[in-house]
Amino acid sequence: MLEPMESTSEEVLVGRSARGDEQAFGVLVERYKGMLYTMACRLMKDPGRAEDAAQESFIKAWSALPGFKGESKFSSWLYRICYNTCISELRKRKPEVELDEAMGVPVAGPVKEFRNRDMQATIQEEVSKLPDDYRAALTLYHFNGLSYEEIAKLTRKPMGTVKAHIHRARAALKTRLLERVGWDNLKEVMWQ
Amino acid sequence: MNCDEVKRSLQDYVTRELAPDDRRLFDAHLVECGECQRELALMTAVVSTLDHQAVLEPSAGFSHKVLASLPRQRQSLLLSPWWSLVLAPVLGGLAWLFRVPLEHGLAGLLGRSGIGNITLPALTMQNAGIAAAAVAGLGLLVAVGGAYYCWEHYLRD
Repeated sequence: MLEPMESTSEEVLVGRSARGDEQAFGVLVERYKGMLYTMACRLMKDPGRAEDAAQESFIKAWSALPGFKGESKFSSWLYRICYNTCISELRKRKPEVELDEAMGVPVAGPVKEFRNRDMQATIQEEVSKLPDDYRAALTLYHFNGLSYEEIAKLTRKPMGTVKAHIHRARAALKTRLLERVGWDNLKEVMWQ
Repeated sequence: MNCDEVKRSLQDYVTRELAPDDRRLFDAHLVECGECQRELALMTAVVSTLDHQAVLEPSAGFSHKVLASLPRQRQSLLLSPWWSLVLAPVLGGLAWLFRVPLEHGLAGLLGRSGIGNITLPALTMQNAGIAAAAVAGLGLLVAVGGAYYCWEHYLRD
């Protein structure tokens, strides 16, 4: 049913969706469902709730589309809706923790065998332990490809704070990766 | 550059945000420092892994679930809260301009609808002005309510 519109430009699809064309909106959902769901998973750390948040974000976007003036990219606008939905859910759930507190759990020692594919899983596991603000900034920068300025606007935080969160988060990840995997294992994977 | 300066610039070097001159100094230090080479390799691995995160897929039927949950009727333009922002001051202004006939009309309406025993205060410009101001005030309340609704539903996200 959606095939004929798949190659239609985003601008046209957005315009049609704003006028109430559900088929056009369906194509936009298909295009962005992976990005929004992954973003929600990274922010919420719970696949079930992430799917609910992604669904809610699309429904909010549908309702708000007539007011979308195209001043920002459609994707940035959609990410903002998803970010606000996830953050408001997270705020209901638990108090914020500091970076040191979140990353300070001791590890058993470097693993015996480590392969290249384990790198992604290890980093993701450590990312999920980061405080909400750090995880959000890191996700928006590396996964969604937003600039510091766009993230600052979206999260309503000063650009310096956003940059500091991303820098501290990466530094914490580097330290944890070294603690968990050990330099000898990492060296083999990185330079193989 | 010494080791501390290199470690401070490490992330900007990896993400190519370091100024060209600093980049040259960084490279020069790197050639002779094994410890900083290791730091760079680690940070490069972290940034590269973060940059290449896999896109996850939601459960099958996600798109259909979204489309089935869309509100069937979008708010029509006629019922849009944006109108209240325009209409409220216009109505308030009209009420003020036509305050005297308005009060005459109100008095006649009350008389015809059987609650004529309510005695209106003597028709003076001052009373008519108060009546018009009340209508304008109501208009202002509608405008504030409409603005709040627009903020919550259209602008906040």
